[in-house]
Amino acid sequence: MRQLLPFLSFLWVTFLSSCVFPTTASSDYHEQLNLRPLPLSALLASFNFRSNTTFSKFEKGNFRFFPRSLGQILQHAGTRELHLRFSLGRWDAEAWGARPWNGAREGGTGVELWAWLEAETDEEADQKWLTLTNALSGLFCASLNFIDGTRTTRPVVSFQPEGDHAADTDMQLLYGVLPHEVVCTENLTPFLKLLPCKGKAGIATLLDGHKLFDASWQSMAIDIRPICPSGEECVLQIEQTIDMVLDIERSKRPRDNPIPRPLPGDQLPCNTSKHYHSHDTCFPLDHSKEEWTLSQIFGKPVKGTCPLADSTVPPVCLQVPNSRSVFVSKDVAEKKNPDGVSRCFYISPETELELMLPRPDDGASTDILTPETPLLYAERSFTGHGQERGGVQTILRNPSPDAEVEFIYMETLPWFMRIYLHTMEARVAVQASSSNNKDRNSRSDDINKSLIQQVYYRPALDRARGTQLEVRMRVPPASTVFLTYDFEKSILRYTEYPPDANRGFDVAAAVITILSPGEGEGGAEAGAGARAAAAAYNLRTTSLLCSLPTPDFSMPYNVIIFTSTAIALAFGGIFNILVRRFVAADEGPEAGLAVLVGKLKARLRGAAKGVKR
Amino acid sequence: MPRLLASALQLRRDPRILKLPPYLSLLCIIVGVAWLFLLPLDQYSRRTYISENALLPGQVHTYFSGSDQNVFRAYKHEVNELVNKSNAEINDKLEPIVKDIGLKTARQNFTYRAAGHTYSGENLYAILQAPRGDATEAIVLVAAWENVKHEVNKNGIPLALTLLRYFKRWSLWSKDIILLITPDSIAGPQAWVDAYHDAHNPSHVASLPLKSGLLQGAIAIDYAQERRFESVHIVYDGVNGQLPNLDLINSIVNIAGGQMGIGVALQEMWRHNNGYSDRLRTMLRGMLKQGLGLASGAHSSFIPYHVDAVTLRPFGEGWQDEMAMGRVIEGSFRSLNNLLEHLHQSFFFYLLMQRERFVSIGTYLPSAMLVAANFTIMAIALWVKSGQPAEDASPNTKSETPSSTAAPPTTAERDLFLPLGVVALIQSLSIIPLYLFNHAPEGFLTPLFFTFAILNTLLPPALSQLLTTLPRSPTSEHQYNLIKSFSLLLLGMFLSTLATLNFSLALITGLLASPLTFLQPYKTPGARIAATVLLKTISPTAVLLAAATYWGTDVASVLKEGAVAWHICGTYSPVVVWCVWWPAWVATGVVVLGGRGNNRRAKAKTT
Repeated sequence: MRQLLPFLSFLWVTFLSSCVFPTTASSDYHEQLNLRPLPLSALLASFNFRSNTTFSKFEKGNFRFFPRSLGQILQHAGTRELHLRFSLGRWDAEAWGARPWNGAREGGTGVELWAWLEAETDEEADQKWLTLTNALSGLFCASLNFIDGTRTTRPVVSFQPEGDHAADTDMQLLYGVLPHEVVCTENLTPFLKLLPCKGKAGIATLLDGHKLFDASWQSMAIDIRPICPSGEECVLQIEQTIDMVLDIERSKRPRDNPIPRPLPGDQLPCNTSKHYHSHDTCFPLDHSKEEWTLSQIFGKPVKGTCPLADSTVPPVCLQVPNSRSVFVSKDVAEKKNPDGVSRCFYISPETELELMLPRPDDGASTDILTPETPLLYAERSFTGHGQERGGVQTILRNPSPDAEVEFIYMETLPWFMRIYLHTMEARVAVQASSSNNKDRNSRSDDINKSLIQQVYYRPALDRARGTQLEVRMRVPPASTVFLTYDFEKSILRYTEYPPDANRGFDVAAAVITILSPGEGEGGAEAGAGARAAAAAYNLRTTSLLCSLPTPDFSMPYNVIIFTSTAIALAFGGIFNILVRRFVAADEGPEAGLAVLVGKLKARLRGAAKGVKR
Repeated sequence: MPRLLASALQLRRDPRILKLPPYLSLLCIIVGVAWLFLLPLDQYSRRTYISENALLPGQVHTYFSGSDQNVFRAYKHEVNELVNKSNAEINDKLEPIVKDIGLKTARQNFTYRAAGHTYSGENLYAILQAPRGDATEAIVLVAAWENVKHEVNKNGIPLALTLLRYFKRWSLWSKDIILLITPDSIAGPQAWVDAYHDAHNPSHVASLPLKSGLLQGAIAIDYAQERRFESVHIVYDGVNGQLPNLDLINSIVNIAGGQMGIGVALQEMWRHNNGYSDRLRTMLRGMLKQGLGLASGAHSSFIPYHVDAVTLRPFGEGWQDEMAMGRVIEGSFRSLNNLLEHLHQSFFFYLLMQRERFVSIGTYLPSAMLVAANFTIMAIALWVKSGQPAEDASPNTKSETPSSTAAPPTTAERDLFLPLGVVALIQSLSIIPLYLFNHAPEGFLTPLFFTFAILNTLLPPALSQLLTTLPRSPTSEHQYNLIKSFSLLLLGMFLSTLATLNFSLALITGLLASPLTFLQPYKTPGARIAATVLLKTISPTAVLLAAATYWGTDVASVLKEGAVAWHICGTYSPVVVWCVWWPAWVATGVVVLGGRGNNRRAKAKTT
């Protein structure tokens, strides 16, 4: 900070014309790692990196913390707000509870991208979107350039801008998703390069592809949005987030011996109370609470802090009850937060941070925080079988005993899944406990009718665009709703099949945006309330694999060979008939031995005559 | 060329050509059967090979050993304590164990009613979510509490539990692994698979509360044997003779035989010397199983849904222990896990005659097709014959036949109404036995069967009597020919279609029905009696009774099996027996016995 001040004052002198001295200068970049142990010996690690740049500097191309490569792409493609997600695995809401960041920083499996582009017409937006996806594809080594018209949608209600935008700008929201994209190390490296410390110092040193992609669930997010604090210059904020859930037992395995060989018999934790317990019989005690250290989990301790980061923000925080003891390496200051469930650690830029969570006492029930119940559980699967038709069923469960959940369910389906919208229905799962059957039926009919409130539907065009379906619906308290619809599978052209077509076709995750309760009635404070409302909670279902009728790809070649043979045979016969001249036997010149004999005879006769003369 | 055509036309009018079809039919049958016996020869069968390169069977080290055996022993103690407990108690005890492993569990109730019995129970299943995966694909490990012989799967269940616990430690799974514990080997898996694909009847089978992605394969463990074993028996027959992809069987043969040094047997051929007779026996057993179309294990119900599945059953006395069996399953799961695409490369239609020899559909299909063709040939011959003027109407013109060949042949008008009516009537009658035998309670099956057998014997004479006493017009020889022609035409059509779906069933039915081609109204009493006796012995009821006696069961249990398979698995073999074979038999019976009535009347006229 001390070194930074003269520089900042210099800035102030130089840019006197620029309106306000940024009071947030000290927090232009900050990073933080949040660790939260989860049930079933899992550990949630969320890394958060955030930096700001003022618009004036951004437009002059004066990049400091904001990555230049990304900034130039944004300028070139006229992007006002951008959200990019790389995700892998699935969040186990039953065991782990509510999602980190209320689901705002995660995507469905694969790659997800949505952005608000400055454009007056649809064509202009499409053009800019094409530029953006191609540029990002190169930057992040992902197949984002495959987000073409068939995978792009324009959601109407699901997404709201997070940033502050002037009311008069023409912005268009475009949304694209690649469910089949496998996220891997080549996406992590460019991600880390965007950071001011490039993963060489600070918490980013823990980000190692081997650990990140061995996680049970991980999501990398980049969010760029303009923020306009009142009375100050607008800033462009980039927030990079990585959330991952690590299996403690799996992560603790040494990297040179990652094979889960059986433990030696004497090290196996056994339930000794079983009557048959002996030296060779062991009823296992799984998920015993183990101790772990940061370097065991991530392979190394935190190597200092990033010198560019705001030093007032603690680099590492741990969310365990305050009653639990945590050991840290020396020169690390621990500060317990007043909420009683988290503590943060401060270190100087040069020291290493090592952290150890000892094994809790067996009696202690509150060794980890009880996971927060999410607002909604969602599970989506296919119904039906065969290659012609299918159905999709989403089970939505509201765990709350008294509050109803209102949300927007968005599906982006590929064009070859032709949905029958008339078959879409939502019904509440019938509880068996009700007494009067008839009464119950009529009542549940009424409830079922009121479940779906609004439907935004944009039908697919073959080979041009996919189906976009947004359903605004609600789930009554403590009940489960089944949302089902049927679809027909179309047959692709021979060349439209991707390699490994028999695997099936990935269908992107459904996006569920839960609206906050106040906004449900709609109308009154739609303008101001919309942004707050959209942020209530997000969740995504898993993606699906849809098997289409797939031809035997060797068949065309068989057909080609067969027809070629047939044509060759036919051609031979016809050609023969065409070029050969057919003449009746008595019309043509005589041939054969008789002719020769005749000629010979004539010669002889001639010769004989000559002799006679 | 024109001379050839002329001579062909000449040949067409030759009366000798009409004598040819029965011999041609006989030739078809003989060639068809002989073809089958050629298949086990080296020249006609092929060595198996792995077609799907992604499978890489036996290419991984398996680590299922060591202290996992201690865990296995503990689980086995737990399972042994549950023997003779009720289904609900077993599930109550197993569910916490599975939950402790770290899997998500769910249960499913089902109730089937067939042959007066209720088949109900509760499936317990658990999903091991692929550590880094998305719920798009899954493979299933099935361990039924009881195998098809109602032996308790005493080693299979603890082995499945131990394996799942071991699988949980790996992070390499690209697909979810589903552990399915069913109370029995037929109804439980069927209910689960039906519900998984939403093809179930919700009033009998509960929906699944927990689901994963597309099923890519399933392996069932049937390990009731207590001793150490020598080899693994692969059971692969699915419902209605559908088979799993040959790649799956090949992979397991490769893993068990090549990697682990465990022998592999097929079709209960415990000893196989790879000679002609053993190959033939394996093939014929396979064909018989395929033809019956019954579920042969917990894997059978998966196959109709295009989920390739097999049951592995250790047998014999050797030195392989349960961990070796576990390693075979581990290796197979690793192979299935490697799959990028659904198994589609290799054959779905094949006959295995040894673990490394098979014939594919292109080679064996002609055999069933030839047998089916014999009916069609005869049907055409009878049709042509029915169009010619009756011979015995003018017995004294026989000497003039050579001259009549020169003149255009006279065509008799065919009276189609009666023959079509009779065939349609017989076909529609076939609904009755189909319904009765599939819906009668087990206790009634034996009396019902014998009543039906007696009625069945009386039906053809009664029908033919009815035909002769029809007031409208006397039934002519031609009409009898047409009845037979139509019924044989139907039979040939059904069987050739069936041959592409279930080759063995088509071939077996075709061979059992083949005498029907040659039975015709005989004029001498001795021949007539012989024909009648032959007709009775090849009736479906008599064959059923004979088969039941041969395999040492009573006919009621055979019928019960059929009814259970019909209601639970949707086996269509009863349809083929009662709606394809039986009507053809009745129609032939009417023709054979009907000729007599006609003759008698003719005699009455002459006297």
